[in-house]
Amino acid sequence: MTVFNPLITALARLLIFPGLLFAVPAAWFFLWVERKSVALMQERVGPPFMQPFYDFVKLLGKSTPPRSGIAGLLMRAWPLIAVSAAAGAVGLLPVLPRSGGFEGDLILLLALLELPSVCIIAAGFSSRSIFGEIGSAREAALSVSYNIVFLLAIVSIAASQHTFRLEALAALPASPLLWLGVVAILACLPAKLHINPFSLPNAEQEIYAGPMTEYAGPELAMWELSHGLEWVAGTGLVATLIAPHVSAVWLAACLFVAISFAIVLLLSALAAATARLTIDTSVRFYWQCTLIFAVLAISSALFMRFRL
Amino acid sequence: MNILTMMGKNLWRGYQTLLFPARPKITSRFRGRVLFDPALCTGCAVCRFRCTSRAIEFKAGKGEFTWSYNPGQCTFCGRCVEGCIEHALKEGRTEHALSQEEACPPVYLLQGELKRSYTVARRPPAPKPAAAPAVPSAGAALPNPVTGGAQ
Repeated sequence: MTVFNPLITALARLLIFPGLLFAVPAAWFFLWVERKSVALMQERVGPPFMQPFYDFVKLLGKSTPPRSGIAGLLMRAWPLIAVSAAAGAVGLLPVLPRSGGFEGDLILLLALLELPSVCIIAAGFSSRSIFGEIGSAREAALSVSYNIVFLLAIVSIAASQHTFRLEALAALPASPLLWLGVVAILACLPAKLHINPFSLPNAEQEIYAGPMTEYAGPELAMWELSHGLEWVAGTGLVATLIAPHVSAVWLAACLFVAISFAIVLLLSALAAATARLTIDTSVRFYWQCTLIFAVLAISSALFMRFRL
Repeated sequence: MNILTMMGKNLWRGYQTLLFPARPKITSRFRGRVLFDPALCTGCAVCRFRCTSRAIEFKAGKGEFTWSYNPGQCTFCGRCVEGCIEHALKEGRTEHALSQEEACPPVYLLQGELKRSYTVARRPPAPKPAAAPAVPSAGAALPNPVTGGAQ
């Protein structure tokens, strides 16, 4: 029985909470919150509550143009890989107390968080569309710039605690180092989620939909779902880091949802208040401005490590 | 910070989108369909050059010209009216898709269906003003090429 307990816990985390059963409706909800709040800040009505769900169902019912060969196979595979990776990343989040996990699950989480971005880059090049290739090139350049900051910030928090276990990091008390890292992660989230001012990989009206230009039907539905799950995973990661440690399961879940919701509102306000930056300005922002946070965080972490 | 103030006000005020079938009220600065007065037009075609959406076409002929305007292509920027020195163009206030609060907006199925053309006879050129009095001799007016003019 003891052998099955970790397995059952892992399956419950992946499939129920915070996994698929929670994450998929949460993804649609967060997509709606983002669209609605941006619309209200711009004096528009915005979409109805069920719109992301309707979009998903409608896309599932559409047929896609036949694609043969290895390129067609790859184009069908990338969105599925992206959805699986994003769902896995959400499932790994240590939302509930004593939810299990293993040493090194932070590294797996970082890899899973990065996988949708890699899939988007590959999808754009697989589609053989000029707009897809431009979008993919932009995504690759942006990914290189923000990931340095993102990884440095997370690694600094982990290095200060001598662990790569997510549960240990989630139980951390608030400290200046933690907040420094969280600020750096928050600065990277708009680029990771492709919202303004870093929406240039899928710049609407400019390069159509970037890497998604050639996608339609169920494959596009999967990309939309993957994007929503990325919202849940990205905001959820910050929520688990800053949420106070509570022992009650329901309170921990409510705190997770509330903090994630607040971060979605914050990012939406940023998206509504800013315009799209060019690629060189975006890269300069991450390499010159945000890198300072990350370097400060990692140097404090190293200082703490050697002092202890 | 202005943008944040604006967003806050927008959130407080609520949405301003008009739900169908409501239509916006006409304000005093509203621009409608461009009105053309053939009696005043001299056929200078400045409006055609100022039109960025290419809604105005101009064809010059012998003794006459044809001026065409396609409201379906017009962006109602008002640059043509602004540039018409003879005041042959005026901004209409009512004939516009948005302004029709009661009737339906104009519906067209073919490109250029709303286009209207006017063929106008060219007016004879205005008589030249009387010859100006003789100017002083050029040599006296021009500065000395060696010493230069007075500074």
